[in-house]
Amino acid sequence: MAHLNEETLSELLDGASVAGAEEHLASCSACRGELEALRRLRSQLRELPELEAPAELWSRIEARVAVAGRVRRLRVGRPRVIAMQAAAMAAVFVIGLGLGRVFWRGDQQGAGAQLVSEGSSATSLADAMAEVRRLGAQYDAALRNLEQLAVEEGAPTPSLAEQRLVSLDALVEASRTALSAEPADPVLNSYLFAALEERDAVLRQIRAQQEAGSEVLWR
Amino acid sequence: MVDVTETLLVRRARAGQLEAMQQLYERHASRVYTVVRRLAGDDELAADLAQDAWTSAFQKIREFRGEAAFGTWVHRIAVNTALTRLRQAARRRNLELSFDGRSTVGNPDRWPATGAAERLTVQRALELLPDGYRSVLWLHDVEGYTHEEIGAQLGIAVGTSKSQLAKARARLRALVSESRVEVVDHGASQ
Repeated sequence: MAHLNEETLSELLDGASVAGAEEHLASCSACRGELEALRRLRSQLRELPELEAPAELWSRIEARVAVAGRVRRLRVGRPRVIAMQAAAMAAVFVIGLGLGRVFWRGDQQGAGAQLVSEGSSATSLADAMAEVRRLGAQYDAALRNLEQLAVEEGAPTPSLAEQRLVSLDALVEASRTALSAEPADPVLNSYLFAALEERDAVLRQIRAQQEAGSEVLWR
Repeated sequence: MVDVTETLLVRRARAGQLEAMQQLYERHASRVYTVVRRLAGDDELAADLAQDAWTSAFQKIREFRGEAAFGTWVHRIAVNTALTRLRQAARRRNLELSFDGRSTVGNPDRWPATGAAERLTVQRALELLPDGYRSVLWLHDVEGYTHEEIGAQLGIAVGTSKSQLAKARARLRALVSESRVEVVDHGASQ
């Protein structure tokens, strides 16, 4: 009696129906055993453990990515750095607000947000307002710079929205960090709320553009 | 401590933040390395392939739209990277040999074949398969690729993929069986 060949056994292993094979299996213990061995081997293959990547692999990848990154920065590096610096400064300022006990009055109008302090000196209030104006101006300038660059390049630059998103992420995180120390601080709560709202708006814009396949420059 | 989600990490990586890239790498390094290692059958080549796959992923991370999980996306890149390299190597060596010749990697000498060592036996047998066999077998039986997908990836016909799978399974089975016999013989002679 001829046994089932490897192709038939393989098809049976995958659940295919092969004419005459079932009848053969019913009467041939050798082929049943072979099929069972293949089934067990497949299970063992699937159960092989995940392997640890070599320890030095990340440093190799990092070096390659850094080289590629320098190439990208030649094109859009300056605005990216400025935007990230502005975001970092704004984030630091959020923490500073929590520590300085300065309170938000709520009438936010563009970059001209007004601050008042309760129980703090006039000097600290003036300093805080000057810092807000400085950071606001830098942040606005960074965004204008990004947009201007995109116009000059004459190409759609979806990264503008992404850069903004990353900046807002930094603000949200910084606000949350500060709030973990001062959960009831109205300034920080307002700041977090505003940052979350703005971030949601940016996300909606990005999604809308992606869904529409739009190449329109984000503003 | 704020929980930094993968979405956030991807967003930061897209903006060029190396630290976010490293965190993404750490989350998925094992899975990516495992698949390229299984397909390559060789440590050194696997490390090169993993490096290429991750570099490629970060270079084109702007194309990642979040339709699948990041891990799935980078895993797919890793498979493509490995198969492209293996295909190129096969072309250089002669495709027939790659799919039907003997592997040049190692010899099945005195493999352990009982208890916990069973896995190691299967793993070593897998490495002894010719590249083409190993690729088809791993993609189909472990990664769940269809023969159509394998055919497209490897540039072979669907029928060829099925035939290679059958041969790969039979060869693996024979290698594992041989290793068991060798170990039994070796044990009896002592």
